[in-house]
Amino acid sequence: MMLLLPLLIPILGAGILLGFGAHGRARLLALVVGGVEIVAILRVVLTVYSSGPVQFGRFLRADGLSAFFLLNIAVISGLALVYSLDYLRHVEGQRFSSARWFYTLLFFFVFTMIGVCLSANLGLLWIMMEATTLASALLVGFYNTRGAIEAGWKYLIVCTVGIAFALFGTIVLYLAAIKSGLSPAVALDWTALMAAPRLGSEVALLKLAFVFVIVGYGTKVGFVPMHSWLPDAHAEAPSPISALLSGVLLNCAMYTLLRYDAIVSRAIGATFSHTLLLIFGVLSLVVAGLLIVVQRDLKRMLAYSSVEHMGIVAIGIGLGGPLGLYGALLHTFNHSLGKTLLFFAAGNVRENFGTLRMDRIGGLARSLPKTALALTLGSLAIVGLPPFALFVSEFAILSEAFAQSRIWVATLFLATLSVVFGGMFHHLSGMFYRDMQQSPAAKRLALSEAVPIAIIAVGLTWFGVHVPAAFKGLIERAMAVL
Amino acid sequence: MDIVQLAAGKTLSSSAVFLLLTVLLLAAARRVSTSIILFGLQSAIITAQVMATAYTEKSAEAWVVAGMVFALKVVAIPSALLWLVKRLKSPRAVQPAISGAKAVFVAAFMIFLSYAVVQPYAREASVPQDALAAAVALILTGAFLMVNRRKALMQIVGLLVLENGIFLAALTTTFGMPLIVEIGVFFDLLMGILIMGVFAFRIRDTFDHLDVTKLRRLRG
Amino acid sequence: MTMLIHILQALLIVLGAPLLRGVVSKMKARIQRRQGASIWRPYADLGKLFRKEDLAPPLASPVFRIAPRIVFSATVVAALLIPLFRPSALLGGPGDFLLLVYLLALARFFLVLGAMDGGGAFGGMGGSREVLVSALAEAPFLLGIIAVAIVARSTELAGIVGWTLHENFFDVSAVHILAFTTLAMVAIAETGRIPVDNPTAHLELTMIHEAMVLEHSGPSLAFLEWANSVKLGLIMSFLIGLFLPWGMATSASMPSIALSVGIYLIKMLALAMVLALVESSVAKMRMYAVPDFLGIASATGVLAVVFTVFGGK
Repeated sequence: MMLLLPLLIPILGAGILLGFGAHGRARLLALVVGGVEIVAILRVVLTVYSSGPVQFGRFLRADGLSAFFLLNIAVISGLALVYSLDYLRHVEGQRFSSARWFYTLLFFFVFTMIGVCLSANLGLLWIMMEATTLASALLVGFYNTRGAIEAGWKYLIVCTVGIAFALFGTIVLYLAAIKSGLSPAVALDWTALMAAPRLGSEVALLKLAFVFVIVGYGTKVGFVPMHSWLPDAHAEAPSPISALLSGVLLNCAMYTLLRYDAIVSRAIGATFSHTLLLIFGVLSLVVAGLLIVVQRDLKRMLAYSSVEHMGIVAIGIGLGGPLGLYGALLHTFNHSLGKTLLFFAAGNVRENFGTLRMDRIGGLARSLPKTALALTLGSLAIVGLPPFALFVSEFAILSEAFAQSRIWVATLFLATLSVVFGGMFHHLSGMFYRDMQQSPAAKRLALSEAVPIAIIAVGLTWFGVHVPAAFKGLIERAMAVL
Repeated sequence: MDIVQLAAGKTLSSSAVFLLLTVLLLAAARRVSTSIILFGLQSAIITAQVMATAYTEKSAEAWVVAGMVFALKVVAIPSALLWLVKRLKSPRAVQPAISGAKAVFVAAFMIFLSYAVVQPYAREASVPQDALAAAVALILTGAFLMVNRRKALMQIVGLLVLENGIFLAALTTTFGMPLIVEIGVFFDLLMGILIMGVFAFRIRDTFDHLDVTKLRRLRG
Repeated sequence: MTMLIHILQALLIVLGAPLLRGVVSKMKARIQRRQGASIWRPYADLGKLFRKEDLAPPLASPVFRIAPRIVFSATVVAALLIPLFRPSALLGGPGDFLLLVYLLALARFFLVLGAMDGGGAFGGMGGSREVLVSALAEAPFLLGIIAVAIVARSTELAGIVGWTLHENFFDVSAVHILAFTTLAMVAIAETGRIPVDNPTAHLELTMIHEAMVLEHSGPSLAFLEWANSVKLGLIMSFLIGLFLPWGMATSASMPSIALSVGIYLIKMLALAMVLALVESSVAKMRMYAVPDFLGIASATGVLAVVFTVFGGK
């Protein structure tokens, strides 16, 4: 029953908002629903942390890994919700584009992502992943501008095709499971697949399945070369949604890959799947990292940074080993924090300057000092400098690379990070210190926007200095699952 | 063997050829409405295959799936898309990147490719070679349609053909997945079409055309 | 006895061709809710034409008069190759399908020659269009027959028909479906029906065959029209024989022959109905679209041949 609550609450909340959310009550209702939701999720997380996996019926299950990602969802959605309270005040009330619709779609989106994390059945997992695309497409196109609609359409089409390939991969896996003796009723159940004794005999089918799965779900993660939708979608969406997309959705997609990787690795050994992950990871890291330097739009640059960091996570998983996996999991969380901070700051820049073109923004240091500070902190964090949290996770992955004597991977990693650092520094210094003719129209940072930013900044620093034991424990439980 | 059993067997083996014919016709089709009707025809053939499977495997679930395929892909989605075409009032002719006979040659090549790809697997998985090759051909054609045609609606049709191919592949290799999963997949498909329809309207309203190759503002 | 049957087949095609034309026109008229002319009208037309004077333009060479006769003879000889109600024909032998294709090509060559010799603008225009269509149609024609021939392991038309006769109707193979599609499209192009050519149109933009016969008159025109009808009948019988031969007599006894004649007539009637329906519901294609149409036929033909390797069933 407990597992049902995190799923039911957002759905009911979406319904309530749709029905009763007019006339400015939307925000209050959203806040209430969001609060209840976070409590429900935390309850699940704590239960799993203290007493192990929880199963509900045949399709829902929460184990250490799900708990970790659920925590991620809870934290980021809560912060995004708070941030959006003030951010939406400029939204016009078009069809599908009012505050009411925003929160309805938002909760539906959260529902689908929680569904991904709580699925015990690979079929349900697929359904929920496809649903995340559908739920977020309308959110991406929320502003109804030319750019937003183009981004939303591209997002919808590319991701649906990708997920269709993932469906094919799932079917092949199902076929392999049945051929190795599992009964059809449980052939899509993750725990059953992990325990299947003869699955390893279907080598060709498993390899085929994993290839399609990594291409398909990898599209949602944003691996190069399937990443074409990502910069558009993350840039054109409203900033709180961008934070959710970069911080949570990409992580959910990575979660899916982790599940499949676990099955395939257990059955035929980790070499095949991890090699593929490494390839995609390095490719994403390098290509995205290099593209960051030539970006002109702030949020687009941040989107490419997300691709780069997902590449890093993939490298971590692909390397394997205790440090690699630990680093990868920690990095998903840290990256979501840092990216959210950056998107929130970018949102404020957009509010005050009306544009996100970095060459048209200037004098930030003087006109929006707090936002500038947030941007600085976020950029330093995202590039991987100490004392921020991302340094810890990247260092772990790097150590693993050296430990396994993967010199090429480590070299590319460090080289790209340096390039990214240089690029972002260049862009940011332009924005901070360029001389502008006129100062921006309004200069403000609302409380509801400032608070989440502050929270994240503190969190990033804290985690960078010392990862709390409880959190470490959570990660370890997640790793144990795999 | 009674006559129905015989008919079922024959349906399974010969429907692949008819599906390949629809592949060729889709490559040659010039109007969106023609493609939509061809898609409906394809789905009808696939429904027949599901029903034949249901009969030979004596599976009640498969009958439900057949019903869903028919209701959704033969009736609901094509009529919705045709309604969309009428409402969007866009010019009829689709100027594809590769047109007419060349496109049909590409389609023929893709069919050849699917057979070549399927050969080693079919023998191993003891699956009728034709049906699996038809499934792969459908997937390739769907992808080809999405890339070749320029209108937003044609991309939706391409996507649907792709899903048809994947469904057929599932059908021929594993006689379908558990019912709950199938229902979920269909539901997702339906919602997807719905949302794509909303977007199509928005594209038309904002851009005044449905030519997706002109959606190139966001680059780099 | 066999010789008698063969002669009967030949006479039926040649003499019955105008009737076939008349039936198709009548069906079209009925579908279009018109009364339509009598089905015996083409005979009346032929009779009238044979009684008229044979005029030739002053600058024409003897080719102008000779061409229609050659066209007619070539078409009739081609008709002698087709099995109608027995899996054998008057003329035949290994590789006779090539003979069929090229006899038709010979007829067409002389038709174009006669048209160009007439010296009129329409003749040249119709001739060039006809040559374009036939050049593009030749490849799928051959490919379609070759595909079926490979499957039937015989290069004789009669042999192919015989093989198909022994096959089960429900074991429809991919090759046959594809080859049928190809040959159906070629048939439309070869016989000059909608959507490739309109046999009833006399507008410059839409004529191909009609443009070529415009200058001829009298018996020459009669031969050309008759040849056209024979060609229609021969190609329709060809399609039926290759793909739907069941009902043909396997023995030479009178009752079975009579039965097979009846079944043949029914099949021709059905195919005529299909032709009439297609002609009434589809619009004629632009000339620029005809190469596309035949290109599709070629692609399907190639696919049919490729499928003989894969042996799909």
